Amino acid sequence: MAMSQSLVLVTSRRWRRLDAAGIACLGFVLLMVLLILFGPQIAPRSALAFDPLHSLEGPSPAFPFGTDEFGRDIFSRIIAGTRPTLLVALAAAALGVLLGTSTGLVAGYVGGAVDEAVMRVMDTLMSFPGLILAMLVVVMLGPDAMNVVIAIALVFWPRSARLVRSVVLDLATREFIDAARSRGETRLFILARELLPNVLMIIVVDFSLRVTAAILLSASLAYLGIGVTPPTPAWGLMVRDGQQFIELAWWLPVFPSLAIAVVSIGTLLVGERLRRSVATPGGGRPR
Amino acid sequence: MIALTFILRRCVMLVLVLVAVSVLTFGIVNVLPGDVATAVLGDMASPEMVEAVRERMGLDRPLDARYLEWVGGVLHGDFGRSLQHGQPIAPMLLGRLGNSAILGLITLGIAAPLSIALGVLAALRPGHLLDRAISSFAVGAHAMPEYVIGLLAILCFSIWLPLLPGSSLMDPNENPLNRPEALVLPVGVLVIGMLAVISQVTRAGMIQALGSPYVRTATLKGLPRWKVVLKHALPNVLPPTVTEIGMYCGYVIGGLVVVETLFSYAGLGQMMTNAVSYRDIPTIQAGVLVVAAAYGIGNLLADVAALLLNPRLRG
Amino acid sequence: MNAEPMLAMSPEPATLDVTGLSITYGAGPQGLKAVRDVSFRIAPGEAYGLIGESGSGKSTIAYAVLRHVPAGTVSGRILLNGQDVMAMSPQTLAGIRGRVVSMIYQDPMSALNPAIRVGEQIAEVIRQHRRGDRASAWARSVALLGQVQLPLPAEIAHRYPHQLSGGQQQRVVIAMALACDPELLVMDEPTTGLDVTTEAVILDLINDLRHALGVAVLFISHNMGVVAQVCDRVGVLYAGQLVEEGSTAQVLRAPRHPYTIGLMNALPTIDRAADRLVDIPGRLPDLRVVPPGCVFAPRCAAVQDICHAVMPTLEPVGTGHDSRCHERDRLERLLPAVAPATASDAPLPAKADGGRPLLQIVGIERSFGRAPMLALPFLRRRTPVRAVDDVTLDIAPGQTLAVVGESGSGKSTLARCVAGLLRPDRGDIRLENQVLSPLVQQRTRPQQRALQFIFQNPDAALNPHWTVERIVGRPLQLYGGIARGAALRARVVALLEATKLGERYLERYPHEMSGGEKQRVSIARAFAGDPRLVVCDEPTSALDISVQAAILNQLRDLQQRHGTSYLFISHDLGVVRHIAHRVAIMRHGRIVEAGTPAQVFGAPQHPYTQALIAAIPTLEPKRLRDGTAGRLRTADGMIDA
Repeated sequence: MAMSQSLVLVTSRRWRRLDAAGIACLGFVLLMVLLILFGPQIAPRSALAFDPLHSLEGPSPAFPFGTDEFGRDIFSRIIAGTRPTLLVALAAAALGVLLGTSTGLVAGYVGGAVDEAVMRVMDTLMSFPGLILAMLVVVMLGPDAMNVVIAIALVFWPRSARLVRSVVLDLATREFIDAARSRGETRLFILARELLPNVLMIIVVDFSLRVTAAILLSASLAYLGIGVTPPTPAWGLMVRDGQQFIELAWWLPVFPSLAIAVVSIGTLLVGERLRRSVATPGGGRPR
Repeated sequence: MIALTFILRRCVMLVLVLVAVSVLTFGIVNVLPGDVATAVLGDMASPEMVEAVRERMGLDRPLDARYLEWVGGVLHGDFGRSLQHGQPIAPMLLGRLGNSAILGLITLGIAAPLSIALGVLAALRPGHLLDRAISSFAVGAHAMPEYVIGLLAILCFSIWLPLLPGSSLMDPNENPLNRPEALVLPVGVLVIGMLAVISQVTRAGMIQALGSPYVRTATLKGLPRWKVVLKHALPNVLPPTVTEIGMYCGYVIGGLVVVETLFSYAGLGQMMTNAVSYRDIPTIQAGVLVVAAAYGIGNLLADVAALLLNPRLRG
Repeated sequence: MNAEPMLAMSPEPATLDVTGLSITYGAGPQGLKAVRDVSFRIAPGEAYGLIGESGSGKSTIAYAVLRHVPAGTVSGRILLNGQDVMAMSPQTLAGIRGRVVSMIYQDPMSALNPAIRVGEQIAEVIRQHRRGDRASAWARSVALLGQVQLPLPAEIAHRYPHQLSGGQQQRVVIAMALACDPELLVMDEPTTGLDVTTEAVILDLINDLRHALGVAVLFISHNMGVVAQVCDRVGVLYAGQLVEEGSTAQVLRAPRHPYTIGLMNALPTIDRAADRLVDIPGRLPDLRVVPPGCVFAPRCAAVQDICHAVMPTLEPVGTGHDSRCHERDRLERLLPAVAPATASDAPLPAKADGGRPLLQIVGIERSFGRAPMLALPFLRRRTPVRAVDDVTLDIAPGQTLAVVGESGSGKSTLARCVAGLLRPDRGDIRLENQVLSPLVQQRTRPQQRALQFIFQNPDAALNPHWTVERIVGRPLQLYGGIARGAALRARVVALLEATKLGERYLERYPHEMSGGEKQRVSIARAFAGDPRLVVCDEPTSALDISVQAAILNQLRDLQQRHGTSYLFISHDLGVVRHIAHRVAIMRHGRIVEAGTPAQVFGAPQHPYTQALIAAIPTLEPKRLRDGTAGRLRTADGMIDA
């Protein structure tokens, strides 16, 4: 109940004043959702069918982004590739933030030996550079989209946990938590009803920024040939396969690259916008 | 005195973390469902073949014994043999580590001062043209994977304008410093990625410092603006920025993997991606351990530098 | 509009001459008019005080004198030694800052640069304004540290700010301000946040230096007692306007504006005993839409029809004494009578007296900085500090026990031990002879209900994501078993009405209320479970004087009605005088003296209590340097060394 109330608060208080940038952000998110859900149906041609007659053709009205060595339309492949590229990122960000939030809440509020133990585990996970950890996990679990999700979530887990924990530690010194304790509230009530609503907006912002990071990380894994297998039209994989033709047909690696850049810059701007709307006075965080 | 205990403490922590990392690296490889032997042979292998490989690799012995043996070897500089080449991993690792270090250190050396300078410049007049230009550049660069930037750079500077080699294609034993022109593009790509993050961290810290009461005090003393910025604000911004640079080492290492693959640069990252595609488990393990150690040492050095820059902790 | 023809004609050239100063934040008609048409003059060597509560614009004016008004639009004229500050080139401006006029700040810790040695922070001002070499600038910096009576100045100069105490930091700031012998010192609440004994020695120092150096002072404060100690003349600010101006004696002893009179009546002092304080109802007007009439009219007890229609001008009511009030000559008849400010030792009324104590605090001890749970190598173990050291106290039913102490005395730790928020190392808390569990979670529901807490900081005490209805309703659900719906809402409304808030606050969130309103919500929450004892931890120290009076009256009324006991923690002896049946003075974790207010304030026995009482800045203008000052020096030696 607390959560739904704060979400109502968020929607009613902040998004009421939607300016042009806000509408653009909303439009971008809707477009991405549309492409994820119906990408293969929207795409003008098949993303997988070979067409040897049109192999390695440059951009033209028929093939706006050109064709690859098998004659597949790159434009259609990019549209159809939205789902394998973005769904993995969204799922990984969601899983990582979920794990991190619950760990951070418990470690920050319970404190003591629990906190100490949990945070040492997080430190260990943090002592791998993100990409390296993800590589290691995917290599061992096998090339599968779900395993990529798990690997990236594992990278985000300690980072998200640290953030939430620091916010909870800050909140826990506020007197309204003391007020709840002195009233005789249970720990569960304090966590769920008093702390969570205050952390929620920070989690939402964290999630939006993690989505960008997850897009980059999964695209890098795909580029290194880890996690996704051909002929999946994942953008990173398209760059990897197209790279060898760069001197002959630059459009092969360049258009999927641009797709990654545009989408990750888009999500970054949405996240930034979200962060700013939270930072406004009278917003989620007091003072 | 405080500084010394701090450094000692951090060293002990680093050793503890490295032990944990080795356990984790070993554990992920040996406990997760993907068996090493199956990983080596692929899913199509017959049970007999898997069993044979297991025996040859000593995988039938208990976990703790194998772990101790592995760690013991590592401590003596023995990382085992590569499954791909059949040769000892250590010598190959050393040469490639050197190559990667050259790339990484040149990047740090250029990017750290440059990004701090850009961050300070942007913070001087937030919202003005220069700040917006730097910030837009940072957002763009931050949101693009290294290989996207790298590909565009290759396209521009080695294909359309053939000025620089688009690929290093070097022998692993060759000293990369002998061909500096081959370093320009890889270093450039890594520097851009780092500028994006560190300049924004510096900018945020600087804006906060410039709005602080002690900067107001300095201004109302009648000090000129440049003195207020360089003498009063900057010393308070540097320590957290340096710590942030230490954290960023992890991204540089990740970036190295991608950039080395893109430019066929014979470094640790390239070695690891090769090992991954050949399922060369011992090499991957060795690489991960070395990378984690390098990352840990980078963080430690950054923390010590931040400490030395901060009189409150040095005190 | 220029209301000071008399002063403008005076022959003596002023050090500071401010005419028609207006400062607006934000553009257009919606701009916040923080300061409106303020004019005043400060003669060479004169100390001028600006008094006002939060939102009066006093600090904005102080910084405007040095032309430091980020994001604000300034109109009017500020002449410093006859030179217009607003018209100066940036170079000229930098040349006078720190040399002709310098500033002393409210929070010395944040005003000093944490990364630079304090000696260098002073020396750089000297090098900037007087061409000299490093060595001589350093030598002068050390000499200045000696002049502000810091011990071992040559050694202190090498320290960083965090290595000094609050009082020492403020001395460094003062030394820095004096570095180039300025003609005007602007002091923005220079003693706010310091302990009362430290405040007294800093005020002494300011007075000494001012007379020795002949420097003029613009002194900003909300504390009338502090202003009385330093200033020759004062101006009273309300909502960005100067409402009264005159000599310190005129304004503080015979005020002629309803707001000033209201402030004086709201001020709790130790020589006015158990009288009810008179609060000023209402709140500051919205400074974006300024009404046409008198800004104080909505809160004024002497308001007439004309006040809402026409803005009064500053008119003389005596020699050099002006008031911005239409009814300035009839105020005595229009304002309700207030009890005279005489010492009376009539005890505070109490519902129940004597009998068995409601709450007993028996031998409570609590230390901080014990060994950490997980002993990591090279982790430094701090020596434990005893915050509360063997404290034993009783609280009678329906009475208030006040525990008074300076920062670090352990008074808040004691309160948290009583409330069960901290586990004491030793000792018991007994409620009606029953030993309570040390932690509140382990106490029974009736015990939890019987003991409630009101916190110091109204901003932090309420969950920012909860409505008032939920905040006040939650204890009712928890203790009263009223689940939800109309019955709950009716009880919440009743509680809000009892704390003078009412139904329209039900749907509000904390950030939509003022500090006083938030504190009323806290009180309503504490009384929701009908408690036997309420622990009040500095409940008014974050509030303005006029609001504080209302909250104190509220607490007294509720005590009368419900027979509740209070454990009242405070650093303010004046506040304690007005609310306590018994007083305990706490220092370094120990109770040094306890008794009735009449005993403790009338005939203090312990030297620390005597020093504490002597240090209170009273409205008596200018402390006489006699035995009092001698006692303060002792206090200085004890506390601020």
